[in-house]
Amino acid sequence: MTHPGQTILALYAGEDLGWFRRLRTERHLASCSACRAEVATFSAAREELAGMSDLPAIPWSRLAAEMKANIRLGLAAGECVRPPQSLAAFAWLSGGRGFAAFASVAALLVAGLYLQRPAPPPAPLAARQDAVLRATANGIELNQGGQTLSLLHVRAGDVTYSAGAQGSIRARYVDSDTGNVTINNVYVQ
Amino acid sequence: MCSKLAILIAAVAAALSAQETPLDPHNSVQINLPPDAPLTLVSENLGESHVSPRGSAVVLDLDVALTLHNSSPNRVRGVTLLVTAQEVTPGGKASVAVPSLDVAPGLNFPVRINLRLLRPSQMGAGPLVRVNLDGVLFQDLSFYGPNRLDSRRSMTAWELEAQRDRKYFKSILASRGIEGLKQAVLESLNRQAERPRLDVQVIRGHAVASSALPEHSAQFAFLRFPDSPVDPLEGYAQISGNEAREPRIEVQNRSPKPVRYVEIGWIVKDSQGRQYMAASVPNADAELFLPPGRTGKVLQDTSLRFSRGSDKISIAGITGFVSQVEFADGKVWIPNRESLANAQLLGILAPSPEEQRLTDVYRKKGPKALVDELAKF
Repeated sequence: MTHPGQTILALYAGEDLGWFRRLRTERHLASCSACRAEVATFSAAREELAGMSDLPAIPWSRLAAEMKANIRLGLAAGECVRPPQSLAAFAWLSGGRGFAAFASVAALLVAGLYLQRPAPPPAPLAARQDAVLRATANGIELNQGGQTLSLLHVRAGDVTYSAGAQGSIRARYVDSDTGNVTINNVYVQ
Repeated sequence: MCSKLAILIAAVAAALSAQETPLDPHNSVQINLPPDAPLTLVSENLGESHVSPRGSAVVLDLDVALTLHNSSPNRVRGVTLLVTAQEVTPGGKASVAVPSLDVAPGLNFPVRINLRLLRPSQMGAGPLVRVNLDGVLFQDLSFYGPNRLDSRRSMTAWELEAQRDRKYFKSILASRGIEGLKQAVLESLNRQAERPRLDVQVIRGHAVASSALPEHSAQFAFLRFPDSPVDPLEGYAQISGNEAREPRIEVQNRSPKPVRYVEIGWIVKDSQGRQYMAASVPNADAELFLPPGRTGKVLQDTSLRFSRGSDKISIAGITGFVSQVEFADGKVWIPNRESLANAQLLGILAPSPEEQRLTDVYRKKGPKALVDELAKF
């Protein structure tokens, strides 16, 4: 007897099997006590997990209001205990030092703006990497990744080229050796 | 001194290894004709075929002359061969079709394969190129072959065009004599010489326009033929400068039979009003089935770019017409010559393979040879 895998039994216990698989599994379970036991284990585990997910409700809005109030209180207390500051504290920033500090901050800002400037959108990947078939008076060329390869250079004098929108180019000519019309079809993929 | 000599020897060896190598006639090209095929291989000549390395790939220049034998009881009208160096990447696969044949049972006929194919240099053992028979079309339009390239429909359409154009030249010969025939052939040769031609680029699966110009949705104007089994209803393509992409055309089957293939001829007009045949647009859905009266869509996820030499052609308008229909029973419809003339398409479209062949017979051998050629059919 071939037993269903653990995955199948677990999915069956959770009623997540498709109808066909469910029918097959039910038929097996009817005659297999070992698998019935496995399913019972999975079902019990599911019930335990369902019980664990029943966490008590948390009053999020009240908690948020309390946290905001505590932050405001902390800031106000900080203002109360801070000694008064005079401009003399910043005297060291006068003259050349001040200019250097200002220049440094300006350079930092410029560098940041340069690095975060809106870049032009990159060329579409398809445009850069797609294989391109090209029919010219000289024949059919394949261009891919900047490389061009001539695929067909018909030596006949009068060649008719026609493109197929499904991704092909045909070259039609009268073969000078055989006198037969010959149609070469080159596919882009 | 010794090191310089070693470098020189290595350079010469590298240069020699990069040179063209003739193909080994015994195992380079494999010609596969099934045992029950109506054609048998009489001879193969690899001529100047050669292989040369190019980066991580090898380039195969094929100059193969095959002689095939018609071992069937029917006259052969066309043959298509699938030539494969590798299936997956571009440049690895091509086909060679020879329509407008008239090979009686028991006769031999030549087929030339002049192609260049690419394949990775690191591929497994086996032949470099495989040539498989994709299809053979007979005089009664019966077909043999695996038809991987849908060559049954293509060759049937070419054969119908051949019958149509031979009938046209024969009727002129009957009504206006050899002078009338000469005039008709000269008119055809003039049309072929003066037909406006463009350089066309085909890009598959190109979802984003590459042109810097703004893109707009342009509506197709349609040319309708009175006897066409399928009517174009409306269609659009995205146009940006010299690039047109994603043609999508709604068609309706107005015949009493189900249709399984529709092909739209696509003409573009430049800013000076000149019209060019741009491409054929077959239905993308290989499982198309259009019952009588029903509508369906012909669309392709392709971009086409047009230029003449280095000059880009600005697309000012697009026109479409139904150029081919295949019914579910395998029968094929093509426009008749009167419809093409009335729609002034003869000067825009390429001549049929048979018209090209017949005018070539006239050009190389004169009017008497053409009359003899027409008398064969």
